[in-house]
Amino acid sequence: MIPYKKSKLLILLIFFFCGITSAVFSQPGVTTQVKVINISDLEKIVNQNENRALVINVWATWCLPCREEFPDLVKLAEDYDKKIRVVGISVDEADELDSKVIPFLKDQNAEFENYLIKLADPEDFINLLNKDWSGAIPATFIYDNKGKQNESLIGKQSYELFEKAIKKVID
Amino acid sequence: MILKKFLPLAALVAVYFLSIAACANHSSSGRIGDFTLNDYDGDKHSLSDYKDSKAIVIIFVATECPISNDYNSRMEKLFNEYSQKDIAFIGINSNKAESVERIKEHAKEKGLTFTILKDEKNIIADKFEASFTPEVYVLNSDFNILYHGRIDSARKESEVETKDLENALNEILAGKEVMKKETKAFGCSIKRI
Repeated sequence: MIPYKKSKLLILLIFFFCGITSAVFSQPGVTTQVKVINISDLEKIVNQNENRALVINVWATWCLPCREEFPDLVKLAEDYDKKIRVVGISVDEADELDSKVIPFLKDQNAEFENYLIKLADPEDFINLLNKDWSGAIPATFIYDNKGKQNESLIGKQSYELFEKAIKKVID
Repeated sequence: MILKKFLPLAALVAVYFLSIAACANHSSSGRIGDFTLNDYDGDKHSLSDYKDSKAIVIIFVATECPISNDYNSRMEKLFNEYSQKDIAFIGINSNKAESVERIKEHAKEKGLTFTILKDEKNIIADKFEASFTPEVYVLNSDFNILYHGRIDSARKESEVETKDLENALNEILAGKEVMKKETKAFGCSIKRI
C-alpha cells in the first residue's frame, strides 16, 4: 500500500515525465506544441469554422524556401492574431518531429497551431487542400470566415504577399 | 460588301492565333513542342532526337532538393532498367541557382548517368508547367503527355506502396493505355528567374 503523500508524488512524477516525452517543448514565454495528425483530423481543422479567416501553410524542414518564408508567417500570425487563424502543417517524416520539426518551430518562436501530418500517400492530402495543387511546397491556402478557399499561394511568399492575400478575406 | 470580303480572312487570322495559343503550353493540348537544351558538357539535345524511342521520360531534377536527392538511386535504377527497353530518360534542371558546373559535379557525386539538361531561364519548365522536383512527364513519339506526376508514392523507399512511373512505363511497353495518368507528391518548388 502506497501512502497518500507518496502516491501524490508518484502521480506528479508521471505527469512530469509524460510532459517530457510528449511532443511539447517549452521555453520562457513560448510553447511549441506539435500534434501528429492524419487526413481526417485535417478535414476537421479545415471545416472547423471559427468565424475568422484561416491560413494553412504546408511546409517541411527539408524545404529551404519554406524555412525562408517562415519568419514572415510568424509575424503575420502575430500582427493579425485576432483576425486570422494560422495553421502550420509540416510534411516532414513523423520520426523527425523531435529532432527537426520542434527545434525549428521553437527557434522561430512559432506560437500558432502546428501539426505534422502522417500520410501513407500524399495524394489525398494534396487534393483535399486544392485539386489544382501539384504538391510543390511551400504552399499556403487562405480561407475566408465562411470556410471558402479564397487563394492558394504556391512557392515562397513575402510578408507583403501574405498580407495582401489575407486582406482580401478580412476586409 | 467589304465585310463579306474580309470575313474569311479574319476567320483565318483568328484560327491562326487560336492555334498558336493552343500550342503555347501543354495544358490546353497535352502536347509538348520540340525544344533544344544543352547537357552539362555543353552538348545539344533536342526532344526530336529521342522520337524513335518507345517513350521519353522527362524528370525535372535538382541538386539541392532533399526529395529529389532521395530519388537519385531510384531514378538511376529506372534509367538502367528501362533504357534497355528503348525508353529514353532525360533529366532537366530548371533551378535558377543551380549552375551547369554544380549539376555536373552532383551527377558524378550521386552516380547519375542519364542525360541531364540545363534549362536556363526555366523556359522548358514553363512549357511543361512543371512546378516541383522530382516531377515526371512521360511522352510518346508525338510528344503527347502519357503520364505526369511522381516516381512513386513515398519518399522513403521502404514505404513505397505504388510505383506509379514504373506502372505507366510497363503499360506503355505492353501497348496498353496508361491507367493512372496523373499522380501527386510533395516536392521542392522549382526556383524560377
